[in-house]
Amino acid sequence: MISLFLDTSCHMMTIAIYKGKKQLYFYEEENNNDLSVKLISKVKEIMEELQLYVTDIEKIFVVNGPGSFTGIRIGLAFAKTLAWSLNIPIVPISELEFLATTGGTNYIAPMIDARRDAIYAGLYTYDLKPIIEDAYIARKTFLEKIEDYKENVTFVSMDTFPSLEVVPPKVDVTKIIEKYIDKSGVDVHTLIPNYLKKTEAEEKLNGSNISG
Amino acid sequence: MEDIYILAIESSCDETSCSVVKNGCEDISTVVLSQIDIHKLYGGVVPEIASRMHIEVITKVIEETLFKSALTMSDIDAIAVTYAPGLIGSLLVGVTAAKTLAYVYNKPLIPVHHIAGHIYANNLVAPMEFPLMALVVSGGHTELVYMKYDYDFEVIGSTLDDAVGEVYDKVARVMDLPYPGGPKLDALAREGEDTYTLPLPLDDKSYNFSFSGLKSAVINLKHNEEQRGRTISKKDLAASFQNRVFEIICKKTMRALKEYQCQNLVLAGGVSANRALRETLKDLCSKENIHLIFPDLKYCTDNATMIGAAGYYAYKTGKRADFTLSAKANEPLN
Repeated sequence: MISLFLDTSCHMMTIAIYKGKKQLYFYEEENNNDLSVKLISKVKEIMEELQLYVTDIEKIFVVNGPGSFTGIRIGLAFAKTLAWSLNIPIVPISELEFLATTGGTNYIAPMIDARRDAIYAGLYTYDLKPIIEDAYIARKTFLEKIEDYKENVTFVSMDTFPSLEVVPPKVDVTKIIEKYIDKSGVDVHTLIPNYLKKTEAEEKLNGSNISG
Repeated sequence: MEDIYILAIESSCDETSCSVVKNGCEDISTVVLSQIDIHKLYGGVVPEIASRMHIEVITKVIEETLFKSALTMSDIDAIAVTYAPGLIGSLLVGVTAAKTLAYVYNKPLIPVHHIAGHIYANNLVAPMEFPLMALVVSGGHTELVYMKYDYDFEVIGSTLDDAVGEVYDKVARVMDLPYPGGPKLDALAREGEDTYTLPLPLDDKSYNFSFSGLKSAVINLKHNEEQRGRTISKKDLAASFQNRVFEIICKKTMRALKEYQCQNLVLAGGVSANRALRETLKDLCSKENIHLIFPDLKYCTDNATMIGAAGYYAYKTGKRADFTLSAKANEPLN
């Protein structure tokens, strides 16, 4: 089974092609303002290099957030339309879980700066079991929440935070594929981004959804 | 001649739409999903919310359109998409979906300018004849476009500040009418009389428009009347404002027709649904022997049918995009 893994929701554009659990191709580059220009051309180029047709793709694993709202949508618009037109299963993956594949210690805390002292964060075990659910949360609150695990936590982030030591992500797509390869897909029409955060307009109208 | 079927996608603002159009003139199937009820809560379109709605519904809208058309993708000759101008986050959803379809089904990808779409909405009523003048009036645009032949655009004048639709919404807000105020202002104006003194905006030799001065005049007038303890007659103010807007638009349009020796005028954009504007232009055109077309009401607001109509002529003239096509918030029509 040929599958496509795609992540455009944060700092990097990551594209990987798998045959079963075997990686055929891995590509990543920094996600700049030209994601929309590059994404589909790059996938096409990779498929051609592998001498595969787009119609050979049988399953899609797509990171649907949290992260950059626009980045998430470009990736998801591509992945959803691809899954719909090829009539193949699509499996959403959390950006935080993907960052947690970096590993390190027994517990991994992936973090994305959400500005104003807030973060998107979760806590995972080394083998990707969620301990604290992904959330849009005040940084201080999150650090309090993981106090019990503190001795054994690796903080993974592309961003920097005052008086907190983080390691840059070193993602491992194969860990994700191994975990989710047999997972059935979701309904493509109802698959939506996992922003974790309301829009500012909604916050003004109904209050923020921040935890803590 | 072989029939050409274009599948078109439009997502430039707060409507997610897909359509299958035959030969640039026949609406085979169209789905338009409007978000207006959501944006009403905020008194205007919130770009981030609009983008979020588009990504939620895009595949469903495409599927419904194809289902209604009773065609399959193999019957489709090309994919057309609005790539500019509009809200960037919204445009990106449609553009990405269109590129994906073109990639998977190996179809030509046709980039369509939103305003070209509005103009070609007229081609769904009757074949457009050239040379023609297009008067584009919408929430984002006020332009006079000269077309020598199909898919050839020369913008001879445009607004220097607010678009007509924009100034309608702003004036409606001043008059405490709920969003979207444009149609409500039009309805009020029909009941009222032109009794208030307001200036005729940018009455000069150019084909440009400017409405911010008129907007300020309305605000000042209301303020002054209230200071004097007098209540404003909303319907009379609406009628006075609307008359001034249409007077200058019609004056410049009729002059452009004469100067460019055009016998054909088409009306385009959301404000082309305005009844008073249609009636005024109808009268003027019949006096001057000008052939006037305006779009069906359902094609005045944003829809993918008009993009499919324009897309057909873009396709015929050889316009193509590759997968590096991106969305542009601002882009001149040419």
